[in-house]
Amino acid sequence: MVPTSYYILLSAALFILGVLGVLLRRNAIVVFMSVELMLNAANLALVAFARQRLSVDGQVLVFFVITVAAAEVAVGLALLVAIFRTKQTADVDEVSTLRG
Amino acid sequence: MVALTWLLWLMPLLPLLGFLLNLFVIRQERAAGLLASAMVVASFVVALVAAVGLAGLPEEGRRIMSVGWAWISAGTFQVPFGLMFDPLTAVMALLVTGVGALIHIYSIGYMRGDPRVVRYFAYLNLFITMMLFLVMGNNLLVVFLGWEGVGLCSFLLIGFWFERKVAADAAVKAFVVNRIGDAAFILAMLAVFANFGTLNFYPVELGGVTQPGFLERVPEILGLTFGPSWQPILVVTGITFLLLIGAAGKSAQFPLFVWLPDAMAGPTPVSALIHAATMVTAGVYMMARTEALFVASQATQGWVMWVGALTALLAGTAALAQWDIKRVLAYSTISQLGFMVAACGMGAYGAAIFHLLTHGLFKALLFLAAGSVIHGTNDTQDMRRMGGLRKAMPTTFLTYMVGALALAGVVPLAGFWSKDEILAHALAFGNWPQLILLFLTSLLTAFYMGRQVALVFYGEQRDPHYHAHESGRVMTVPLIVLAVGTIFGGLLNLPAFFPGQPLAHWLTDWLRPVLAEEPGSFNFWLAALATLGAVGMGYLGWRIYTRSAARVKVGAKDPAYRFTGDIWDGMEEAWYVDAAYSRFVVQPIRGLASFLARVFDPQGIDGLVMGVARLVGVAGAGVRTLQSGYVRTYALIFTLGALLVLGFMLVFTR
Repeated sequence: MVPTSYYILLSAALFILGVLGVLLRRNAIVVFMSVELMLNAANLALVAFARQRLSVDGQVLVFFVITVAAAEVAVGLALLVAIFRTKQTADVDEVSTLRG
Repeated sequence: MVALTWLLWLMPLLPLLGFLLNLFVIRQERAAGLLASAMVVASFVVALVAAVGLAGLPEEGRRIMSVGWAWISAGTFQVPFGLMFDPLTAVMALLVTGVGALIHIYSIGYMRGDPRVVRYFAYLNLFITMMLFLVMGNNLLVVFLGWEGVGLCSFLLIGFWFERKVAADAAVKAFVVNRIGDAAFILAMLAVFANFGTLNFYPVELGGVTQPGFLERVPEILGLTFGPSWQPILVVTGITFLLLIGAAGKSAQFPLFVWLPDAMAGPTPVSALIHAATMVTAGVYMMARTEALFVASQATQGWVMWVGALTALLAGTAALAQWDIKRVLAYSTISQLGFMVAACGMGAYGAAIFHLLTHGLFKALLFLAAGSVIHGTNDTQDMRRMGGLRKAMPTTFLTYMVGALALAGVVPLAGFWSKDEILAHALAFGNWPQLILLFLTSLLTAFYMGRQVALVFYGEQRDPHYHAHESGRVMTVPLIVLAVGTIFGGLLNLPAFFPGQPLAHWLTDWLRPVLAEEPGSFNFWLAALATLGAVGMGYLGWRIYTRSAARVKVGAKDPAYRFTGDIWDGMEEAWYVDAAYSRFVVQPIRGLASFLARVFDPQGIDGLVMGVARLVGVAGAGVRTLQSGYVRTYALIFTLGALLVLGFMLVFTR
């Protein structure tokens, strides 16, 4: 059986990839995808721990995360479309009018 | 007895009713004057009936107490609201209502046509009410109620013509200066309660419980042996000294007399009623009432005597150098009050009350006659613009002469007997310095009255701009009544020339249940000297100012200036007491106020408030730059924060 630490390492790698994607990429779609990557990295960790502890709690939590992520994507993409319609761009740095 | 207790309440309540009606119901000038006068006359009649009833009682029982209700009831602090009527109160009440009634009637003529005359009469009635509470109160707090009440009426009436800045300022000054005395009075009340446990003068029965009176407990406290042996004396001295300050405020004694000359900005009948005949005697009355306390403290008695004698001389010299007809009389009032206070200090309380009574008569007469002069000369008050008025206003002239001679102390007018009694007491008790001061003052008094009569009534009219005319009957009749009173007032307390003489020291005998003291002995040589001096000085004053009447004009020096030189300036300014107050009290306070207004408020208070606002502004500007609008920056900060928390958990919470 694959040790849990392997899953955790993979999960960490995926999460860092997601963080870097959010911080470094300017395309809103890619940022979105990176966020999804982070969520799923977390999911992976949850499932791994659930398996190790022989408990379904973690797996139940994953379902919640997936549900929330789906809702988030729906709202987020709608926002994106709206932004693109007004600004003709998907660059997050271009959407910086809301500042102090 | 039962009827008398009812009459007691009627006395102050009648003028109070007049006050309320005039304040809320009556709008017509004529009705207001008649109602106000009628109420005070009725009050006078009631006082007369009560006094006769009192005389019918045996001498020991001449004190009627009537307690209305428990005014303040807080633990051991029990103050009943009650009135009392004893020989001293009877004298005061008769003076207040009698002179007050005449002045009310006179006011109908004097104030005719004034736009606020209804309110004037309301104030006058309120004054009579409060003055009656003052003299009839059976404990210190009721007296204090009247004390403050007359102070309020004094303020309202001095500032009655508040459109004139002088009058408004004088009213405020009177109120503020009186406040100093009032504060001392309150402290004295606290001290009395702390040491005697009651504010009642005499024992009072309320609800079946007899409350003690502090005047009768003075010997008790003197016999106490708590603490060092001097402690009771110290307590009594402290209380009486505070009462002295209170009396000095109300009775215009040095150094608190400065408000009285300025108070002449009010209508003249008010000056006669409040600032000469009645209210200013409140201090003397209060000292006579608490005689038992005062005689227990030799130290305070010395102070009282000196304050009175010095005030008499100081104000007498100041009266000499005034040009305003009313200011002469005002300083003269202060001077005569000094006589009374000095008499109190010597222990001659009966003589003080006698002088209070006669002075009330002749000073009211002088003020009303002066009012008649002012009225008849188209509101002229400067004596330099008068002269020769005896032809135009004969009644005023004659009554004025009666008052002036009485004030100067010419036999056989009222002022002679009362002043001589004070001087005789000073001689009998061996108070030589005070005797000399008071004797000098009486000479000065005669001189300035001679001066005033000469300036106002003799010579030729110096200002042709007005047509002098005699006042109407409503004003001259009170003058005549007062003049008659002034002529015969001395009969009340004649010295005993021979055994079995009728009316010999009648007033002293009448007051004996309250003021236990021996009648003064008559000293023929002193009386002769005083009278000769008075006649001589009066003639001298008259002669100097009739001789040099031509040189009296506005802007010129006084004819007597060449005798005194620059001392005259000091006298004219009342020895710069006012200037000293302005320099050492008013200016520092103004300076402080100005500092607070110009420096402390804009820089201290505003600086604090603005500083807080600026701090918030600066902090906001700093935080503002954090919100750049770049979502990725937020994400970075967010990530760093998460890392920080993570690191903290790894390092510290393992």
